[in-house]
Amino acid sequence: MTQALLWASLAALGASPLPLARGADTFAVHAAELWLGDGQRIEDGVLLVEGGRIKAAGRGVDVPLGTPRIEHDSVISAGLIAFDCAVGLDGETSEPKRSVLATGRLIDAFDASAEGVAAALSEGITTLVLTPAPTTLAGGRCAVVKTAHGTVLSAEGLLALSLSEEALDPNRYPTSPSGAMTELERLLGAGQGALPAAARVAVLIEAPTRDDVRRALGLAERHGLRGALSGSRRAGELAEAIAAAQLAVVVGPFASGVAQRELDSVVALGRARVPLAFALELPTRHPAGLRLSASLCLRAGLDPAAAWSALTSGAAAVAGVQTRVGRLERGLDADFVLWSGNPLDLSSRPVAVFVDGVRAHQRGE
Amino acid sequence: MILGLILSSLLAPVAVQELEGNSWSVWADRVYTAAGDLLEGAVIRVEEGKIAAVAPGGSAPAGALRAAAVTPGMVDLSVRLLSGWTGVEHAREVNAGMRASDAVELFDERWKAVARSGVTTALVNPPDFNVIGGLGLAVKTAGGPDGAARELAPERVVRGAMGAQPSTRNHPAFGRPEDLYSRRPTTRMGVEWEHRAAFYDAAASRADAQRAFPGSPELLRVLDGELPFMVQAWTTQDIRTAVFLKEEIEREGLGRPRFVIDAAAEAWREPQLLVRSGVAVVLPPFAPLGRTGEDAFMTIGSAKLLSDLGVPLALSAHGNTSAGNSLCRQAGWAMRGGLSFAAALAAVTITPARLIGVDERVGSLEVGKDADLVLWSGEPFEASSAVIGVLIDGRIVLDPRAGAEQAD
Amino acid sequence: MTPSSKLPTVRRLVSRAAPLALCTALLATAATAAPQSGKLAIKAGKILTKPGAPAIEDGVIVIVDGRISAVGGADTEIPWDAEVIDAPQWVAFPGFVEAHTSNGIDRPNENIDIVPFLQISDSVDPVAFFFEDALRWGMTTINVQQGNQTVIAGQGLIVKPTGMTVEEMLVSTDAGLKLSATPKRGNSSATQVQTLRQAFGDLRRYLEDLVQQKKDGSDQSRREALFQGRELEGEAAKGRAMEGSAWKVEGLERVPRGEIDEKQAPLLTLVEGRMRAFFYCGRAMDVVHALAIARENGFLAQTALLLDGDSWKAADRIAEAGVPAIWEGDVMFSERDVITGELRETFVPGELDRRGVRFALSSENPSSQSLWYQAALCVGQGLPRAKALAAVTIVPAEILGLGKRVGSLEVGKDGNVLLLSGDPLAVTSWVERVVIEGRPVYDRSTDIRIQHLLEGQTPPGTMAMGASLERGPVCCEELLPHTHEAGEVKKTDGEQGEKKDEKKPEDKPEQKKPDEKQQGGEPK
Repeated sequence: MTQALLWASLAALGASPLPLARGADTFAVHAAELWLGDGQRIEDGVLLVEGGRIKAAGRGVDVPLGTPRIEHDSVISAGLIAFDCAVGLDGETSEPKRSVLATGRLIDAFDASAEGVAAALSEGITTLVLTPAPTTLAGGRCAVVKTAHGTVLSAEGLLALSLSEEALDPNRYPTSPSGAMTELERLLGAGQGALPAAARVAVLIEAPTRDDVRRALGLAERHGLRGALSGSRRAGELAEAIAAAQLAVVVGPFASGVAQRELDSVVALGRARVPLAFALELPTRHPAGLRLSASLCLRAGLDPAAAWSALTSGAAAVAGVQTRVGRLERGLDADFVLWSGNPLDLSSRPVAVFVDGVRAHQRGE
Repeated sequence: MILGLILSSLLAPVAVQELEGNSWSVWADRVYTAAGDLLEGAVIRVEEGKIAAVAPGGSAPAGALRAAAVTPGMVDLSVRLLSGWTGVEHAREVNAGMRASDAVELFDERWKAVARSGVTTALVNPPDFNVIGGLGLAVKTAGGPDGAARELAPERVVRGAMGAQPSTRNHPAFGRPEDLYSRRPTTRMGVEWEHRAAFYDAAASRADAQRAFPGSPELLRVLDGELPFMVQAWTTQDIRTAVFLKEEIEREGLGRPRFVIDAAAEAWREPQLLVRSGVAVVLPPFAPLGRTGEDAFMTIGSAKLLSDLGVPLALSAHGNTSAGNSLCRQAGWAMRGGLSFAAALAAVTITPARLIGVDERVGSLEVGKDADLVLWSGEPFEASSAVIGVLIDGRIVLDPRAGAEQAD
Repeated sequence: MTPSSKLPTVRRLVSRAAPLALCTALLATAATAAPQSGKLAIKAGKILTKPGAPAIEDGVIVIVDGRISAVGGADTEIPWDAEVIDAPQWVAFPGFVEAHTSNGIDRPNENIDIVPFLQISDSVDPVAFFFEDALRWGMTTINVQQGNQTVIAGQGLIVKPTGMTVEEMLVSTDAGLKLSATPKRGNSSATQVQTLRQAFGDLRRYLEDLVQQKKDGSDQSRREALFQGRELEGEAAKGRAMEGSAWKVEGLERVPRGEIDEKQAPLLTLVEGRMRAFFYCGRAMDVVHALAIARENGFLAQTALLLDGDSWKAADRIAEAGVPAIWEGDVMFSERDVITGELRETFVPGELDRRGVRFALSSENPSSQSLWYQAALCVGQGLPRAKALAAVTIVPAEILGLGKRVGSLEVGKDGNVLLLSGDPLAVTSWVERVVIEGRPVYDRSTDIRIQHLLEGQTPPGTMAMGASLERGPVCCEELLPHTHEAGEVKKTDGEQGEKKDEKKPEDKPEQKKPDEKQQGGEPK
């Protein structure tokens, strides 16, 4: 009898939403379908969270007695990752007076309590990659932050470079692509005035036109750069070259009315096995646009596995934080989303979002 | 016989299919090689993008591309597709080290029109808003992905400009001196002075490496005669200035540069000056009433005059690709002014190729060169003749077979 | 370099026709002097009489009193008192016919929408450069009309490009009315078409009013006519019924013609089908409107469409209506595909021809190239040579109602002959001589402007427009210093300010003063 009562009270505890404190608590989440990432989907899976990190994930997970338990009758997956965000930066992403601000850190200007951050959280986005505007030739170091608790995943991430026309200014050097390339060669080279090697770990190159992509590939080849391209609408036409250079591409954001050619470009990149990630342009666009971008690409023929990877694990790899987020795997942060259905289906919504093992968003609140 | 018919109908499509890609047979009533030969009823065999054989006196093989006449692909040294304000670096007036290859838009849609007008090799220069704009590069007008242009040879010329254009937007330092453009030169005289200063300073850096500055190595290559200096000079006074600059450089022992004057509209006025100084000339497009850019006046007989005097001559179309104004029409107008066909052909093929040092690859139909061909519906450069086919590196850019069904 | 073929030609004429040497010398210098006997014979190496006909080798054209009286081979009889132009090296060709132009008048259009009563003869400028240039390029018959920025414009004039007064230039006053279906600046299509329809509606109402006035016995219109000084007595002034009209106003025969207001009379003539109409259509949808309005108002049979833009896409409609077209745009029409962004080019005259539209070319296209050039470009794009040449000779002649007068070298037609230095479509051919109505009116060897254009020579005592003070190639050997061996330093003389300072700029540019002169020696 006592045992039955114990089980009942535990079940009652498990069934009700428990505001768990951050950090130390352990709990288990049972999902009708658990998306581990990289295409692995487990039915009736269990996620065991301890100390804000994932202790175990899969089927037949050993859950200690007395562990609080949450039941979810649909999909649970890792939180989504969005690139090209400037939320919380309040317009401080553009430095018009200087063309090179390579050592600047975007994290120094970030305000975690900005409204857009919570909006992103509510759409299942747990990680944001903050990037500077493409108006500076070398705009600084990107930051990777979470959408709750102000957690910073990476304070000195990708080095942002811009080959865009917007980085040119008729009133300060460089005024032309020739000048920009000469300046970039100087920054990335070995001579006087070059950036320290530590700053050149990986780059995010804004390259809107196909000629910009061509120039970026040239830079990457000459200086052994790793990283990603962003901002290009037709990079897919150079997919083979991009794959050979082992660069990733940040695509989107796409909305209704996007030209078919742009979606075809993404599909071509996917076929060439170029790692992808999706840009969101927070706070200009609504965070729901992240999954909309993915859906439009799926509709155009992008492989679903590639699309999902671009939202989660692949994006984490591009941002350099794959050891922390992007998959439901032992040792990674407990950032996950309880969905009302298949997350790649636009009619699904997040029911609850956990960041660092703490429920940070609940639908209806 | 029926068997023969069946066999031939089976063979014909196979013969065409096997030739897809960059290997073709091309047959024409007249083949103008620009290497001194006119061949009647000749077959050009293209293999893997190069000219493998040119054999006269044959009949058209099955599956061959056919035309009334064939010439080498045309070379335009002043295509001017990189023309906007951002095409050249404005932070300095002398940028001899900067490269147009960093600014060229190979994916620009207009390259397709240029290629289809019969221009297969083009020189892309920085626009002439600077005194010395940088290094021009040679491109093939097609052959890249998605039909884009592609680089043939980087750094073919150092580009400069005389006259009023380089001082555009510069202003004396009244009022707001922090503007980038409050600087010299603001006059024609200042422009010429910047040229001379650049060359003198570069020459000084030969002896003293401390005196090197950005672009001085390229200017030294000009002084050594390795890189031609291509300078825009429309009017008589600007042409004189360019010629005197060259002669001064030689006279002062700074070097023996090769000069090419672009848009030399008024070269006809003082041709002896060009002859004695040994400069080459690129003419701009002809104007119906003679008035060209920068209010210069170019006679229709200019090309003939210069050619007869032995001045190395090239024609250019400044990016015009319409049926009435493209490079082949400029050649036609030059002939109207009295230039012979052979000289007109050279002025749009081998001569410009030689001037920028790509003549080992393009400019004439000779075995081993790139298979850049133009196929014509009649005599080349006649107004009643059109470009019906273009091959670049042996690949079809304009398909002569598509037009065949529509012709009567 | 001495230019031109002037001397050899004169020599040949003098040696072969000594008795006529005086006359020919006069011909060579006084361009507009008529042959004294009114007879001219042209002997040419080749005569192209009309497109499609075989060339006559070593042929002769005889023109008497301005009309061709004979065209044939070398054995054609030449009247003993005829002037002879002997040109065995040249090709004779009919003068080009310009089907429509708005050049040569002071302003192409009025601001007012409906002005059918205007006469272009009042604004033709005989000394306009356009006419001189037209002659140079071999246009001998030109239809001058108002421009395209209108709804209903005035009546045009067919002229030849010679003469110091409009009367001297006149070929025919029966040149027709100009209309436009394309919205003029500031109008929308709806406004434009409505204004057109309303003009004819207003005409009908006006005529009905007139008839009613007559029925009521009012003589108001007569008094007005008298007040305005209109002719009321002659045959033309008598009343008439509306014959041959798409719509009729009953009782119009009661109204004497002279009493019809001058402002409305041209439109009445138009709807009666007795006046030609040139209807401008800049777009395909305008073609539909133009054909409808012409059909509704009875002048479809007299209409020629002036086409531009993408109006060629309505070629089927045009062919169906049986009206001729004048193509004013570029020979190749370009458009970009909305989805793929690819450039697509269409050869317009080929399209028109394929769909059965009879068309003429015009020199008033954006490239401003002359008629022979337009025709040559068409041949390059696949149009048969005969059709291309017809489009600049016989077809425009027929469109202008002058099919029996110009457009080919046939007996009975006007003696408008070009002597070309080669085939009319060859790029190296020049118009050497022009004869209009039997009078030599142009000789390239005395054309100063062509000499300037070709070689930059200006005759002594004249200065070309806008030219510098230099005359032709200046030999600089004497005036300017020579070049020298490399390394040899020479002092400069201060000639004409051509040479700049000799100093070597060893300091940084900012420290120099460029306007200080130095005579060689040490740098500053």
